[in-house]
Amino acid sequence: MNLITIGMFGTILLLSLGITAWAARRTRTTVDFYAAGKGLTAAQNGFALAGDWCSAAAFLGFTGLTALYGMDGALYAIGPLVAFCTVLLLIAEPLRNTGTYTIGDVIMYRMRQPPALAAAIIGTVVINLAYLVPQMAGGGVLIKLLFGFRYDVSVMLVGLGMIIYVAVGGMLATSWVQIVKAVLMLGAGFVILILSLRGVGFDPFVLFASAEAKAGPNFLLPGNLLKNPFDEVSLGLGYMLGLAGLPHVMTRFYTVPDATTARRSVIWVMFLAGAFFACTTIFGLAAVHYLGPETLRVGNPGGNLTLPLLAQYLGGGKGTTGGDLMLGFVSAVAVATILAVVAGLTLATSGAVANDLYVNLIRKGKVEEHQQVLVARVSAIVVGIVATLLGILAEGVNVAVLVILAICIAASANFPVLALSLFWRRFNTGGVIGGMGLGLISSVGLALIGPAYLGPNAIWPLVNPTVVALPLGILGAVLGSLIAGRDHEHEKRFGEVTFRIQTGLRSDHA
Amino acid sequence: MPDAVKLSNVGIAPDAWIEGVKGAEFKTLIDAKRRSIVPMIIIYVTGYMGLSVLAGFGRGILGMKVLGPVNLGFVLIAGNYIMSWALAVVYARVSANNHDPLVKIVVDKARASGSIR
Repeated sequence: MNLITIGMFGTILLLSLGITAWAARRTRTTVDFYAAGKGLTAAQNGFALAGDWCSAAAFLGFTGLTALYGMDGALYAIGPLVAFCTVLLLIAEPLRNTGTYTIGDVIMYRMRQPPALAAAIIGTVVINLAYLVPQMAGGGVLIKLLFGFRYDVSVMLVGLGMIIYVAVGGMLATSWVQIVKAVLMLGAGFVILILSLRGVGFDPFVLFASAEAKAGPNFLLPGNLLKNPFDEVSLGLGYMLGLAGLPHVMTRFYTVPDATTARRSVIWVMFLAGAFFACTTIFGLAAVHYLGPETLRVGNPGGNLTLPLLAQYLGGGKGTTGGDLMLGFVSAVAVATILAVVAGLTLATSGAVANDLYVNLIRKGKVEEHQQVLVARVSAIVVGIVATLLGILAEGVNVAVLVILAICIAASANFPVLALSLFWRRFNTGGVIGGMGLGLISSVGLALIGPAYLGPNAIWPLVNPTVVALPLGILGAVLGSLIAGRDHEHEKRFGEVTFRIQTGLRSDHA
Repeated sequence: MPDAVKLSNVGIAPDAWIEGVKGAEFKTLIDAKRRSIVPMIIIYVTGYMGLSVLAGFGRGILGMKVLGPVNLGFVLIAGNYIMSWALAVVYARVSANNHDPLVKIVVDKARASGSIR
């Protein structure tokens, strides 16, 4: 057991709890709870977005994939940056201009019909749970590894941490926990980058040549991980459109005062997270260069321990103070990363349950302000407990696969519905149900009969079904709209929708 | 004040908006946005999906060495980073210098008419 890890993790934990206590006193209304009072600056929200978007899959996963599979790891890392082009150009500002706290708000504002909201709630909850459960499981594994607790106890500790952050401190605490985590992660990344490059005279070309020499001539080619060519296309499509359908990232745009700030916060995250993603490729190659491919394969099947091992080596190696310090630092940041991401997911899910389902769908908006905050806190606790139980059950499930499934559902079900709600006049409630239904069923169904779950017995060849599920989701949305027929009153109101999307102005009545 | 969208607030007269949407100022804004955003979308979709398709179906092409030990695939990956950052900077400038003033004109006019806030 590593005392340095415990010390660093304890410091981070105390800081997070301090932030939560501070935020709790500033969280009284629903706009405080869901949207941090809409008072974050562009830089603050940019760092918090980086915190949300760089999950453990990015922090540990991309480095490991590059070290084990070469170019496919680098392809995993570039997608999440390009994804923000879609968000920047098409989604961030319209979303900020139309919604209040959730994606459900946007759908409801456009459609004004309960079934459309119900479909949006289902989409949000399924995507968030598919994203949340593997993070819980990953957090459990990491804490078990670091502190020696049992797996179920470890998952419960993760669950307890996130419930406290969210239920007590709301979006303000969650945002600042993300910001602290992003700063720590970028700091760790910077130190590892400098140390990695120092050993090769700051010439990254040496890393490419050395990695190829040590890991074989095919190492720098694509296809080492994603054998099926269509899986590469699915990865690209899923990233390009999936981020814009991920509720826990998109709700971050409600924490800023206006669309201009939302836009500027995207620019921030593109440089912060993008630089980190680029570094993971360097780290992966550096791990092969310094540690050699054989060392990396031992006891490191998914590659997730690559970055901690590299940090330990760069700090001076196993048993040295520097090595222990670096290992402890990276491990503590990894735990902080998971805690911050699961907190963001829990908050977004409780928003769908409390704001969309309870307040808007069941009670038709007729709920007192203080009661809404109470319901939001209670639903955060309930969502946290459900996620913890599912996380315990998910022991041994392939974490990376579930995350890809979440992004696939987001791209195939949520993205078409969200984009068409914002930009297509004839899109209607039938389309929301058709798009959400077909997108959800095809992405989940194809993933379940694919190699991710059935292994060699798979009926369907692709790990990531986005390349088929996304067109089906769009088809469902279009067909659903056409089948539901034209509603001229509804289409007439699209003028108002467009006006508000572009300007942020609201009618006096709304 | 939270700008809540609630089920109970369904009664809106759509006509008040149609004037705003049909106004010349709003059309100018939409045209300006289309002119800048559509080419940017074409650039990044082509750049990134091109890379993804080549990663699947053009593995030999991406494996060609072009910069010492670095092959075309990694050069294109680096190119995607630069493309994304360049688009971010260009869009930030275009929207601040070009779109935002047009939005302000539309907003001022709508506010003056009194129907919208």
